[in-house]
Amino acid sequence: MISLSDIPSRSPAQAYGAIVLLALALATAPWWLPMVGLYQYLGIEIAIWMIFALGFNLLFGYAGLHSFGHGAYLGIGAYAFGLFQQNVALSLWGGLAAGILAAGVAGAVVGAFISHRRGIYYALLTIAFGQVFWFTSMKLYGITGGEDGLLGIPRPPLSLPGIEFDLRPNVALFYLVAILLVASVLVLWRLANSPFGRVLQAIRQNETRARFAGYEVWRFKLAAFVISAMFAGLAGGLFSMAQQSAYPDVMSLHQSGLIVMMVLVGGGLVSFWGPVLGVILYFVARDVLGGFTETWLLWYGLMFMAMVMLRPEGLAGMFHLGWKRLRGTRDHASALAAEKA
Amino acid sequence: MLDLLPHILNGLTLGLLFALIALGFTLIVGVMEVINLAHGSLFALGAYFALSLIGGTWFGDTAFAAWWLSLAIETRYVAALLLGPVLAAVAGMILELCLRPTYGKAPLYGLLLTFGAALVIEEIIRLGWGTGEQNLAVPVAINGPILVAGFIYSKYKFFAAGFSLVAIFAVWLFLEKTPYGTIIKAGAHDSEMVRALGYDLSKLRLLVFGFGAALAGLAGIIMVPIWGLRPHVGIDVVIPAFLIIVIGGIGSFWGAVIAALMVGLAVGITGAYAGAWATMSMYILLILVVGLRSRGLFGRKSALEN
Repeated sequence: MISLSDIPSRSPAQAYGAIVLLALALATAPWWLPMVGLYQYLGIEIAIWMIFALGFNLLFGYAGLHSFGHGAYLGIGAYAFGLFQQNVALSLWGGLAAGILAAGVAGAVVGAFISHRRGIYYALLTIAFGQVFWFTSMKLYGITGGEDGLLGIPRPPLSLPGIEFDLRPNVALFYLVAILLVASVLVLWRLANSPFGRVLQAIRQNETRARFAGYEVWRFKLAAFVISAMFAGLAGGLFSMAQQSAYPDVMSLHQSGLIVMMVLVGGGLVSFWGPVLGVILYFVARDVLGGFTETWLLWYGLMFMAMVMLRPEGLAGMFHLGWKRLRGTRDHASALAAEKA
Repeated sequence: MLDLLPHILNGLTLGLLFALIALGFTLIVGVMEVINLAHGSLFALGAYFALSLIGGTWFGDTAFAAWWLSLAIETRYVAALLLGPVLAAVAGMILELCLRPTYGKAPLYGLLLTFGAALVIEEIIRLGWGTGEQNLAVPVAINGPILVAGFIYSKYKFFAAGFSLVAIFAVWLFLEKTPYGTIIKAGAHDSEMVRALGYDLSKLRLLVFGFGAALAGLAGIIMVPIWGLRPHVGIDVVIPAFLIIVIGGIGSFWGAVIAALMVGLAVGITGAYAGAWATMSMYILLILVVGLRSRGLFGRKSALEN
């Protein structure tokens, strides 16, 4: 079993190569999505979940803190965006900032409470807090609209100095989400490979030793939680724009579990890019398998179980090992050749 | 105070039911250090098995089916109460076999695997029994209203609470007073030593998991007439179960029972004043307890913290 730290950190040039590749794929998506039989809205959904998943993996994969209640922050972002549009002002940036801020504050409160805990107790408390938020969103009819949620959330136009873009068409919204996704990738990549990211990895490997090395571990755990909650809030704000509504289901345990499944299947435990693969696999499975059979979730669940049993390092880990084996045999062959000569 | 009495009574009966649900969960956590998120799904599975057994739907149009349905509902109910948990135990044992590759790894993997299993079992239930809400028939003798001190209660609730009480003591006796219980507890305490003494640890784990699953299935058959039967009942149930385990302290038998009674009381009393927020009270209780005592009321240090 390999882990994130076993894959050597690449030189920035290589990483930027991958980021440029992602940006190109996103930029051309409106052309090739219909060609492979998919549709524009799916692109929006996938890009939003990628933001969510990448932010989540800073906590889950890098810091090794297993949150099973992260759907809550997605939902808080969605509600904050909707409430901002309906009660404060019709503004894209204002709404997104409100979503990020609200999720960040909620994350800070929860994080302050749980950051002294470790292992399974940490995971269980994240579930409990996630359920508290979910439950609150259902019961505060006056603010959240109860089980129906907030309906008719507008897609405010994107206004930059001098120009204004209408985001109501799906293609326009997709480009906004895609740009924010690339920005998120850049920020998270920097964070994950900064000294801060190294400390998070040290905490995952051995929390006690990291503390003995002089790091105030709980501050790092808190920071990782807040940052991942803020990315979830950003994703949530975009999600409420895409769905034009925000409802309690976004926060449910089901969603929180889905993000864990996606990140793990993709290989978030071993690679920065794991969450991206996992999100693509999930949505393609949903749309392609879902086209054949009503019970696609059964097959996805079975695949997930098989993955946990046999290949917990996920898709990214399988690619990595396959690549290493390929290169290993090549190295081996050249070494043999050198010996002969 | 006297106004509060029925709510306290209500809360305590609810607490006993919660304890029954948590029983199998705490057993598996204590011995195997696996948080079995599929516990609720095994609970649902037990209830669905009972539904099919009582309704005779598995036997088709055969003569056996006709004979079976001609039996009194009481007989069929008791048969389901015995056979349902056995079938749930079989499902649990299959799950344990799937869990084997995760032993020795971080506890996260057990959690993830059982989470996947919960999803799979729920989908299987949707396939096999449909998505709608269903009712489990119970004999007339334990159904209907009853008058206690001027208040009307459902007779079934008392039956369920009494049944839970008996089940709790039966499991306690099994764990404390039989050699099997000693081996199970020893396995929880020091599995290496148990293996060194010549006990087959993998067989022990299989049986403990089966036993925990049987208890989940039993709890399902008892609870479902009160809570209703739908495919996602598993998720609704596993949450209180794990809250109780964490409040009580992982691996502590009486901790779980006391925590269950506390949760029941909290829900019952909150329900009296602010009905809509009753469920919320158990999360608040958890956050309070774990905020003060990181391992719950009676928890000890375990591998789950690593």
